[in-house]
Amino acid sequence: MRNPENVQSRISARDRADRLINQLTAGAAIAALGAVGVFGVVGASTIPGATTASTASTTTSTSTSSSSTSSGLQPAGGSVTSSSSSGVVVSGGSH
Amino acid sequence: MNDQLLWYTTRAAGAVSMIMLTGVVVLGVMSTLRATPRGLPRFFTPALHRNIALVTLVFLALHVVTAVVDPFTSLGWTAAVIPFSSYYRTFWLGLGTIAFELLLAITVTSLLRGLLGHGAWRAIHWLTYAAWPVAIVHGLGTGTDAWSPWLFTLTCLCVGAAAFVVVYRFTAGSTDPLAAQRASFRAGVDRRPDR
Repeated sequence: MRNPENVQSRISARDRADRLINQLTAGAAIAALGAVGVFGVVGASTIPGATTASTASTTTSTSTSSSSTSSGLQPAGGSVTSSSSSGVVVSGGSH
Repeated sequence: MNDQLLWYTTRAAGAVSMIMLTGVVVLGVMSTLRATPRGLPRFFTPALHRNIALVTLVFLALHVVTAVVDPFTSLGWTAAVIPFSSYYRTFWLGLGTIAFELLLAITVTSLLRGLLGHGAWRAIHWLTYAAWPVAIVHGLGTGTDAWSPWLFTLTCLCVGAAAFVVVYRFTAGSTDPLAAQRASFRAGVDRRPDR
């Protein structure tokens, strides 16, 4: 027959492990969320990329291009007659 | 939403997913080795492995969704589902799609383990050993920050940790407490004369 004290200690160890698992899971989730913020800031400071949206909108409004791109990317120079809508134009950014 | 913010989030969520995925692999191997902190029951490591794997999927989903909706690349949902269908960095993004789908398969079959049976679940779970390196190569190939000192250092630490536990797992002896009894039983069965 099992010793009742031994059974009780196993039950309390199980409860303690359950609590610890929950705490570690929540801690990992919160830490990961924080890490997304930190890595985002670090990434933005090391490789910020090119801010093409504002320059592209002014350029397209003054150019002679007949492109119908709406993604805010700067179109290639000259008269463009393509009507592609995906706007896949590399603007020099490292994106 | 600001395009730049989406891009930064994609990159950051990718880095976090890599770290968490490595943690999941390490915990999974520790489960196989029956390694549990002193004073805690044996289910501790497998349960933590399962929980962290589920949290990792959330961050992987964040990585994928922010990449797909980013208008700069215009990836589209097809690229997130069908490997090598993206016009943008086809090969490297295809590896990411494969890794994500393998992990999804591993997670779903783990949640349905009771229905599948241990053998099938175990066979599918071995795919982790393929999914993790594929994910790492995806990050190295297409990650904007992959070769930045901070992320490269983190990647090296992840690779080192995973390599260490995997090598240990395959070089350590059996952790089955009944291994000796099983071996002796099998030997006894083998010695029986044919009838």
